[in-house]
Amino acid sequence: MNTIALIVTAMVPYILVAQGTMISGRAGIFNVAQEGLMLLGASVGFLVSMQFGSNILGLLVAALAGALVGFILAWCTTYWRLDQFVVGLALFFTCVGVANLLYRVVVGVTTSPPLIPLLPKVFLGQNAMVYVAVLGSIGLWWWLYRTNSGMRLRSVGENPKAADSLGVNVAATRLWAGTAGAALMALGGAYLPMVYTGTFNDSIVGGRGWLAIALAFFGGWRPQFILLGAAFFASMDVLALKAQVDGIGIPHQFVSMLPYVATLLVMIFAFRWARVPQFLGKNYDRESRLVG
Amino acid sequence: MTITAPTPGSPPTPAAPAPMPDGRHSLAQKTRRLLGSAIPYLLAVVAAFAVTAVIILLLGHDPFKAFQAVLTTSFKTPNGIVETFHKWTPITLLALAFAIPLAAGRFNIGGEGQLILGATGAVAVGITLSDLPAFVLLPLTLIAGTVAGSLWAGIAAWLMQRFKVNEILSTVLLNFVSFQLLDYVASEVWPNVGAGFPATEYIGKGAELPTIGKPPMHYGVLLALLVAIAVAVWMRRSVGGFELKAVGSNERAAKVHGIRAGKVAVTSMLVAGALAGLAGAIEVTGVHERMLEGIQSNFLLLGIIVGLIARGSVVAVPFVAFGIAVLEVGASSMQRAAQVPVELVLITEGLILLFLLASDVISGRIKLRRKRSNG
Repeated sequence: MNTIALIVTAMVPYILVAQGTMISGRAGIFNVAQEGLMLLGASVGFLVSMQFGSNILGLLVAALAGALVGFILAWCTTYWRLDQFVVGLALFFTCVGVANLLYRVVVGVTTSPPLIPLLPKVFLGQNAMVYVAVLGSIGLWWWLYRTNSGMRLRSVGENPKAADSLGVNVAATRLWAGTAGAALMALGGAYLPMVYTGTFNDSIVGGRGWLAIALAFFGGWRPQFILLGAAFFASMDVLALKAQVDGIGIPHQFVSMLPYVATLLVMIFAFRWARVPQFLGKNYDRESRLVG
Repeated sequence: MTITAPTPGSPPTPAAPAPMPDGRHSLAQKTRRLLGSAIPYLLAVVAAFAVTAVIILLLGHDPFKAFQAVLTTSFKTPNGIVETFHKWTPITLLALAFAIPLAAGRFNIGGEGQLILGATGAVAVGITLSDLPAFVLLPLTLIAGTVAGSLWAGIAAWLMQRFKVNEILSTVLLNFVSFQLLDYVASEVWPNVGAGFPATEYIGKGAELPTIGKPPMHYGVLLALLVAIAVAVWMRRSVGGFELKAVGSNERAAKVHGIRAGKVAVTSMLVAGALAGLAGAIEVTGVHERMLEGIQSNFLLLGIIVGLIARGSVVAVPFVAFGIAVLEVGASSMQRAAQVPVELVLITEGLILLFLLASDVISGRIKLRRKRSNG
């Protein structure tokens, strides 16, 4: 496969997870459980694909599992107004535990890990998820900026009090946005074992969940720029991989650092430009008299 | 952003005795408050264990056998006790490294990287200066680790202060950088080729922490205890600690009163990095006598769990850390005794935290209802 094709393949998890982060964030919910949700998605997706021999079913069940976790986060932060980072971190640990436990229970300890079939290539040498992710991102842009319901979602993340006064159901919006966002994150995780190795291990996510949060900031919480930014993150991924395989004269460990260091550097600028939803990470109390 | 929830056990009835004239609370009131705040903890632990028991039953194992193994392993043998304290040390230090910035409203998720840098600093000194006598080398090794950890956290603190980069992201990304650094140091700089996995050479004899008793327990445990006490005193009794909490509870108000919030936040990150770095240095000098792949274990997760369960209170951290260390030491024997996978313990710990958060909500509702029914 040539480099461009590799980059496009590697873009998908970043797109899915960052768009999920964006959707939650646009309703004011700052999900920080990406890393755990992706591992959960990878584990569930892998196991379901293995048991039922269907990758599509694996992807769907993984998304459902993610949706459940997202619903818990949205519920705890909307109705109970618990701290979003604290609940997010607690869910992160629980997801990591559940993901590894499920794999251990179903597969057990083996010397040769079981394999699942990779996603088939459908068009131009790319799998179907690539098209789902790219077209979905474009669709998200259209929905968010060209429809009424999209504007309602944005209003909840900017100024829930104003939205509430105009009749937008803030609680319901936060619930579905948090749920849908987490489902996308788990979907992004489930993609990983189905394109690269066909196996699952506990380090399969490798920080992509955290990088996706950075991507959401980098893309200014706007779907169209997240789609473009994903290309940058994916090319760092591929570059590190290529340099490891071919060798470029410097120790491979330093090449492996590249995606993380590049992201740190990029964030210096991203946090200057970034238009962050005003209400990101906060909880809305309808009965409070304070603004916001 | 802080999680200093109102103490759920504050006086249950309006008829509760008022504070004494000088503003202090009587001993009875203090005890009642303490007992009251213990109730949500107990409920959370019981509920988490109940859910875990159901999972174990569904997996087809015996929950009582599993719990017995988890809860008693630490206390049955001298080995178990020492192992528990050896686990308690890094968990406590990393939990403090999480809790101190949290008090200032900042999230340090980089304890892992800071620990690895601390370990790197320690092996660098411990190997290159291995001929020095112990009374020079050991302090130097520990200091090198502490400083290295602090500097590593300093990168994130600088990005946070200078460029407003979200500290959750920068600290986490630096963890991933540090894993590669560890691999590089252990396989290129001072490799121990015979080990069969990335590991450095052994540090000089003079850099090893002395031990007491049999089975030997290293003095790092005592050092961590002293550090924990010092941190608690600093947070509760010093100007610096007060400023830290002021920034955490209301940054704007703190600024209005002339506290330099940015400086305070950066300091909290540097102190946190130093503590995590010390944990790394103790792991090197007390436990492994070298640096190896995976030296960070899962101490970051455990540290955050402990910090959150303790609700960011540095006084509570060592006690909660002990409970978590008991669970962790018990986990592997649980797997042997009842065939229950170790991973389950992480779920139990996550559940304790979630139930603790939920119990705040419930006790808040109860209090509200009482207030309403009393007019």
